[in-house]
Amino acid sequence: MEAQGTLPGSFRDPDGFMFRQQGRLYRQVNHSYRENYDLLIRSGLYQKLSTSELLVSHEEAALNEARTPGAYMVIQPRELPFISYPCEWSFSQLKDAALLTIKIQKIALEHGLSLKDASATNIQFLNGKPLLIDTLSFEKYVAGRPWVAYRQFCQHFLAPLSVMARRDVRLGQLSRIFLDGIPLDLASRLLPFSTRFRFSILSHVHLHARAQRHYQDKPRKTARRALSRFSFLALIDSLESAITGLNWQPRESAWAGYYEHTNYSPAAAEGKRKCVDDFLQLTNPRLVWDIGANTGLFSRLATDRHIPTISLDIDPAAVDMNYRQGRRENNAFLLPLLGDITNPSPGSGWENNERMSLLERGPADAILALALVHHLAIANNLPLARIASLFSRLCRWLIIEFIPKEDSQVQRLLASREDIFPDYHAQGFEAEFSRFFSIARRENIAQSGRFVFLMKSRSAR
Amino acid sequence: MKTVKNFMKAILPVILLMLCFPRFVFCYIDPGTGSYVFQIIIAAFVAASFMVKVYWNKIKGFVGRLFLKKEK
Repeated sequence: MEAQGTLPGSFRDPDGFMFRQQGRLYRQVNHSYRENYDLLIRSGLYQKLSTSELLVSHEEAALNEARTPGAYMVIQPRELPFISYPCEWSFSQLKDAALLTIKIQKIALEHGLSLKDASATNIQFLNGKPLLIDTLSFEKYVAGRPWVAYRQFCQHFLAPLSVMARRDVRLGQLSRIFLDGIPLDLASRLLPFSTRFRFSILSHVHLHARAQRHYQDKPRKTARRALSRFSFLALIDSLESAITGLNWQPRESAWAGYYEHTNYSPAAAEGKRKCVDDFLQLTNPRLVWDIGANTGLFSRLATDRHIPTISLDIDPAAVDMNYRQGRRENNAFLLPLLGDITNPSPGSGWENNERMSLLERGPADAILALALVHHLAIANNLPLARIASLFSRLCRWLIIEFIPKEDSQVQRLLASREDIFPDYHAQGFEAEFSRFFSIARRENIAQSGRFVFLMKSRSAR
Repeated sequence: MKTVKNFMKAILPVILLMLCFPRFVFCYIDPGTGSYVFQIIIAAFVAASFMVKVYWNKIKGFVGRLFLKKEK
């Protein structure tokens, strides 16, 4: 029996599910998982993983919070400020998530347990680092039994990382379509021939795909031979080496080198920085989305104020550079993500509901939209009214920059096309946005024709 | 020469893998079976290099501790 209010994305697991009650997040653990849950706690694995911030921490709640019969336990996991999905992660984020999965599996084995799931969606980012959020992912390790999550690990991590590193980083977007990871036969076909000379990819992707094809849909034979503990550890070690050996260096893309090629004078750059910082101080938001964040220069104004900030950009190189820099800085408030506001992540899975669309994950307390509107209005032909309408649904406060047509950056966009945007001017911008927002402040950036506005959504709750 | 060496390095395990398929019993099989069977084979291969790695780390650790003791 499935309870009302079960959160989408958790209803497939027979051992438990997530639900929300009076604004609080709970996870019901069913009797079918009792033995494994007790072992997780008794073995010290939960303690070890949660204190090291590798597994989400939880508190045990009253059993009468349970939603369905058959509940063994109700737990209250720590809530995360934002849920993201693998297709929104950069190469380094997916790689870190893979290495976390391997690290947890090694520690689990030391405690007599093993991961029964190795899904990338079980990983989220908190405090700038990956974190396993599925407390019910563990099962008792039975000597001789192979790793049930081997296929999943290869499809969710090794296959996408291989094609991203060895073919094209944009192929990470395949995770948007293939919710159970990239099929290995597809990865095998996408990978260059030279990858067959690399043992880790040859074995775990190419030959693995052939083995899957060989055994698919046939009344066949299954192995009698068991996997010794030593061989099990060797397999995990081999997967770890395979992941560690995959690297992708973001070369300077058009966007990743953006800040070196702007037309701001030092005074204008400083003026814009100060203006945005003042607006953040004034509004003191709890969660910021920086849309078109590039490598996160302005996102850091928010994270410096200890505000959790989603730093969204369309360019995989910029997002990866942003994430790596955040990791070096130990920035606990920054979450760089790959996203295109003109085509945001859709709801997907069963009933289009297992993974939330980007818009469903809003509204943010504040949105930063700096040097963005001219790209939306001119490069993407989006009417100003539609831009204003979307932003008004997505946030309470909007900090937005308007760049006039005379600006060299806008002139670059217009250089190769006809100017069909007679309403793209400061008055037109203000008029359209005033329908959806009340304009609280308007600041001219010194030594430029640009303006930064602070607006409050009229539909804000 | 290097290409031939790399090719041999990659192809040799494949040939060995083909020779080393485990013994089977009959039953009906789910789509994950290929992965299940395959990991047993591949684990047998990587176990050898893992053993070398484990012992090498043990030797390194032992030698490291020896030097550490001497310094003290």
